[in-house]
Amino acid sequence: MNVLEAHGIRKSFGRHPVLAGVDLEIAAGELVAVVGENGSGKSTLLRILAGDLRPDRGSVTTRGRAGYCPQAVVLDDALTVDQHIRYFQAAYGISGAERAEALIARLGYGTSRRQPAGTLSGGTRQKLSLTLALLHEPAVLLLDEPYQGFDWETYLAFWDLAGELRAAGTAILVITHLVFEQERFDRICHLTAGRIEEGANRHAPAA
Amino acid sequence: MRQQLEVAVRHSLAAQSRNRLAWILLVAFVPGWYLIIGSMIPHRGATFILRSNETRLVVDGHDLTLITAGLSAITLIAGFVVFAATRRAIPFDRRLILSGYRPAALITAKTAAALAVAAAVGGYAAVVILAFWRPAGLWSIAVAFILAAASYAALGLLVGVLVRGDLEGFFLIIMTALLDTFLENPVDNPLANKPILEFFPSYGPTQFAAAGAFHHQVLPGMVAVSLAWTAAFALLGLAVLRLRMPHSWMRGIRAGRLRTAASPGSR
Repeated sequence: MNVLEAHGIRKSFGRHPVLAGVDLEIAAGELVAVVGENGSGKSTLLRILAGDLRPDRGSVTTRGRAGYCPQAVVLDDALTVDQHIRYFQAAYGISGAERAEALIARLGYGTSRRQPAGTLSGGTRQKLSLTLALLHEPAVLLLDEPYQGFDWETYLAFWDLAGELRAAGTAILVITHLVFEQERFDRICHLTAGRIEEGANRHAPAA
Repeated sequence: MRQQLEVAVRHSLAAQSRNRLAWILLVAFVPGWYLIIGSMIPHRGATFILRSNETRLVVDGHDLTLITAGLSAITLIAGFVVFAATRRAIPFDRRLILSGYRPAALITAKTAAALAVAAAVGGYAAVVILAFWRPAGLWSIAVAFILAAASYAALGLLVGVLVRGDLEGFFLIIMTALLDTFLENPVDNPLANKPILEFFPSYGPTQFAAAGAFHHQVLPGMVAVSLAWTAAFALLGLAVLRLRMPHSWMRGIRAGRLRTAASPGSR
């Protein structure tokens, strides 16, 4: 079952066309990469899929809620890690802290919980941003360059987490300009000249 | 909605309380400014007209200048604090709304936090003035300071959502506050007591404070004038802020609805 379907997405900025009719479908438990050169429109596509930007044409269908982790880490530097967690718990309408506790432990930044975000390292900020996107156990996870700033251990922890999410049926879309380990993805889509060119399926989706 | 509002108010206040420059300005600039201005202006008579009833007062120019100095300090600080908080929060608010936060909860929280900043800054500056002068109607000065701080907190919000760069915003707030509060003081001012001063934001607070401190009179009309400025700045700022927050296109996906579409050419 597809949890995300985008059809005929077009977007121009002024006279400059960026997306010229993107079609993309992602099934539950599928891990998909969208790759492309700098300026090819990857982040624009993800912002449209996340609802952050309105396309000129096209439709997006989601089944279940989305979790969105933008490329530029968007946090409030004056608020602590715990305050960020409470803010997003209120946004998602969830009360229990178990999920947050588990994600923080998994990504290994429990010692920073009382620190303001402005004092965190780039990698820890990225971990917090990822945690906020995952708090509500989304059906589809939209990640823009998610492992920038991660050290090797955190990079591996990220992929372990991604594997668990896939196994649980979460669809994951990763936007990146470089794919180091192609075998980690079910599909790799190339965004070229404003359109998606499907890569070959490498693995069957987990669900 | 209630949970979102409570969290947003608490965190908005927490974020604003961590503005270190604002704390430095409060602790050092407010008393320093009173000291500098107070030492420059002699205890000499100055004519001040209460425009609401055309009463001509001859007041101590030094004491009146302390009031306008306090007004200039708190308008700068309140405007700066809210401007900085508004600018910093725009992308974060956007992410919160995309995640399901209600814009009404964020807007209400920002308004409440801005008013709290105004009350704290205004009240503090009124207390500090006691180190330099023991006015008869301190409460009226405190009310005037809070009113002026609220107007400039609202202006900070408006400038924060309108300007593109931080520098333009800071410059706009500093110049507006200095010009506005300087012109209301009749000491060495060519525009002293001219009717045009009625059209400046600190007119109401200056009149209210002077009437209370020098004439034992309460001018409720001046409170209304000041609140009108605050309401105008705040409503305009909040309207622009709401327009810049994610709208209908985002709501569909945020709620996880089955389909969200953009028709050809629509925005």
